[in-house]
Amino acid sequence: MRVVSQKIGGWIARLGWIWVDGQVAQITRRPGSTVVFITLRDPSADLSLSVTTNRDVLDLGAPELTDGARIVVHAKPDFHPARGTLSLRADEVRLVGLGELLARLEHLKKLLAAEGLFDPQRKRRLPFLPSRIGLITGRASAAERDVRMNTGRRWPGVDFRVINVAVQGTAAVPQMIDAIAVLDTDPTIDVIVLARGGGSTEDLLPFSDEALCRAVFACRTPVVSAIGHETDTPLVDFVADARASTPTDVAKRIVPDLRDEIRLIGQARARMWRRVTGLLEREEAGLQALRSRPVLARPEVIIDARTADVTSLAARSARSFGHRLDGAAADLVHTTARLRGLSPKATLDRGYAIVQRAEDGRLVRAARAVTPGDRLRVRLADGELAATVADEQAPTSDGAAGVGRGRSERTPNGRARSAARSKG
Amino acid sequence: MTEGELSYEDARAELATVVERLEAGGTTLEESLALWERGETLAAICQQWLDAARGRLDEARERRTKAEDVPTAEG
Repeated sequence: MRVVSQKIGGWIARLGWIWVDGQVAQITRRPGSTVVFITLRDPSADLSLSVTTNRDVLDLGAPELTDGARIVVHAKPDFHPARGTLSLRADEVRLVGLGELLARLEHLKKLLAAEGLFDPQRKRRLPFLPSRIGLITGRASAAERDVRMNTGRRWPGVDFRVINVAVQGTAAVPQMIDAIAVLDTDPTIDVIVLARGGGSTEDLLPFSDEALCRAVFACRTPVVSAIGHETDTPLVDFVADARASTPTDVAKRIVPDLRDEIRLIGQARARMWRRVTGLLEREEAGLQALRSRPVLARPEVIIDARTADVTSLAARSARSFGHRLDGAAADLVHTTARLRGLSPKATLDRGYAIVQRAEDGRLVRAARAVTPGDRLRVRLADGELAATVADEQAPTSDGAAGVGRGRSERTPNGRARSAARSKG
Repeated sequence: MTEGELSYEDARAELATVVERLEAGGTTLEESLALWERGETLAAICQQWLDAARGRLDEARERRTKAEDVPTAEG
């Protein structure tokens, strides 16, 4: 066993240094170890070899080496007796073809990012509903069909201006740049869609072209990129104003959903109607309430109230005048009674008489006031008498002799006097 | 009855003031009658505004009902 292993090792050791071209199927960097293992595969045949190298070598020739990259290694076949495996020990690793391209793209990406081409603040807003859509895509491609069908499904009346271009190969970039320029100067175009279906990394390379990226960045019309599958990220995706993961996804970005919009408009309209009719009804009710207030509904109250005032005042006035009248009447009765009380008539009625001198009408209060022969006037309760003094008696009694009828002595003179005085 | 360019809100506010003053009383008969006449005028202006608004609303509703008979989207 040892001899066999040594013989094979010696035989292999005699092989010289060679350049090998292949694709990285797998790259394994072990943490803490400088050794890097690469499984190198033939791009078109099913065979592979393992390559060992170290980090320094890798950093020098292919620092960002990933699976799928094409590389060229300068290596020497090497036999590991411990495991009996054969590997190529590389002292130089270089990216070639796509590998080199991808690395360059990575570099370009950093450059463009540093320049601000990916800046979210520089992105233009897509129109809510474009009047016309510019579509740059491959002739009779699935991407074109997908974009048109899905967009039309959301917004039936949508209008496209399609420019068919080569989407891979050397003609792709200049044709796409031309198409962008044409669509950007078309005033009817509100948004430009750059669409391509899935493809290999090489197929999608034109969409990472620097000139194309700069054309998209310079385009004044918003650009939507829809390249390949979800996992593909060509550089133009970063520059575009919006990125759709697939051509099918484009529709959602560029047009609203008609049914959604109709529903929203319907809702907005219903709310608006409710508000406006509600407002009007409230105002109508308010005005009605004002108009039905008594002062407006029955303006007669303005007059009625005053009429009532006038009537009540008249009544009060009549009432208070009546009272006064009654009072006056009562007064009159009272005064009349008093008057009557003072009248000598009652005294005369009781049989007293008033004696006056006929000559001058003076009351005769004492016998000496008259002399025989004097003519007297005697007033009785009923009528009067003319008398003449016949004799004068001693002033023992007040009574007039001429009139004495036997009752005069009973009559207190004061009363007759007072009655006479009142009359005077 | 179109009192210059009196807006609905102005007419409505003045009407409310007139009613308040009438209700508060304390005005002479002549003033009261003048106020009442002003109130009637204002109420008529308000009513006119509201009737016009109602008319426009009804008109719009009619137009919309007609429009809804026609299909809006083709498929």
